[in-house]
Amino acid sequence: MTSMCEATTRALPGAAVIELSGEVDGSAADVLTKAYQSAVQGGGADPGTVVLDFAAVDYINSTGIALIVSVLARARAERRKVVACGLSPHYREIFDITRLSDFIELFPDLDRAVSQLTGPAALKAAR
Amino acid sequence: MTQVTRPTPRRLDAFTLPSEPGNERLALARVAKSVAGLDLPEARLERLKTAVAEATMNAIEHGNQNRAEIPVEVEVTQAGNVIVVAITDQGGEANPEPGNPEEPDLLRKLDGGQSPRGWGLFLIRNMVDAMDVTINGQRHTISLTMRTGGAAHDEHV
Repeated sequence: MTSMCEATTRALPGAAVIELSGEVDGSAADVLTKAYQSAVQGGGADPGTVVLDFAAVDYINSTGIALIVSVLARARAERRKVVACGLSPHYREIFDITRLSDFIELFPDLDRAVSQLTGPAALKAAR
Repeated sequence: MTQVTRPTPRRLDAFTLPSEPGNERLALARVAKSVAGLDLPEARLERLKTAVAEATMNAIEHGNQNRAEIPVEVEVTQAGNVIVVAITDQGGEANPEPGNPEEPDLLRKLDGGQSPRGWGLFLIRNMVDAMDVTINGQRHTISLTMRTGGAAHDEHV
């Protein structure tokens, strides 16, 4: 009944997308760290924004929140913006309670995140 | 003098789990099944599931030290419109409650002044209507109380 966290990364103009699936818990540490590394170093220009897409994530626990905090801390140190999309109402509430949403702008889905961040051309590339 | 009649608690489920990482998912699934049909709104059910998962994870890791042979006990009861999930480990005397665990401060965590971890109890407290801890010898029990009706701070907007 558990599903390991997996991540795929995509480069868009000015942004890198990390699409997460499965469970964001303690076992996701390596996946998330490597995905972030790949996202910011992967081809093209250095992305100023990292998009975390949680649409295919079915579980986030307190350890997963700690991992997201670590990613955010690293991104802030590197002067990158982090945004998130695809969170269920419950996990949006948890982002509010923990104040993550004060530092990570939330979008309902990837299309709206990409469209707002990088414009319609990037949205076409993201699809 | 008015006599207040309290509803008699009814046990909905009771089970044990080996103290192995990941078993908190089993606990939340079974608790969710045991309260199905009690008119718990979806948002409150999700909160209860998160609180159960976090409390069970604490019981497995901190209470029972990930020793699979020591079970985590879970009991679900209902009294009127109140659901109580009691989660017991054997870490009572060995691992007493920390006096005042540091409240998580995201800004401090981002600046390195606090560990990124330490969200478990904070989440539990914010997910349920009440959280109580009792220690009886080795037995350490965290009781999570959730009303089936809406509370003031409830539904998602």
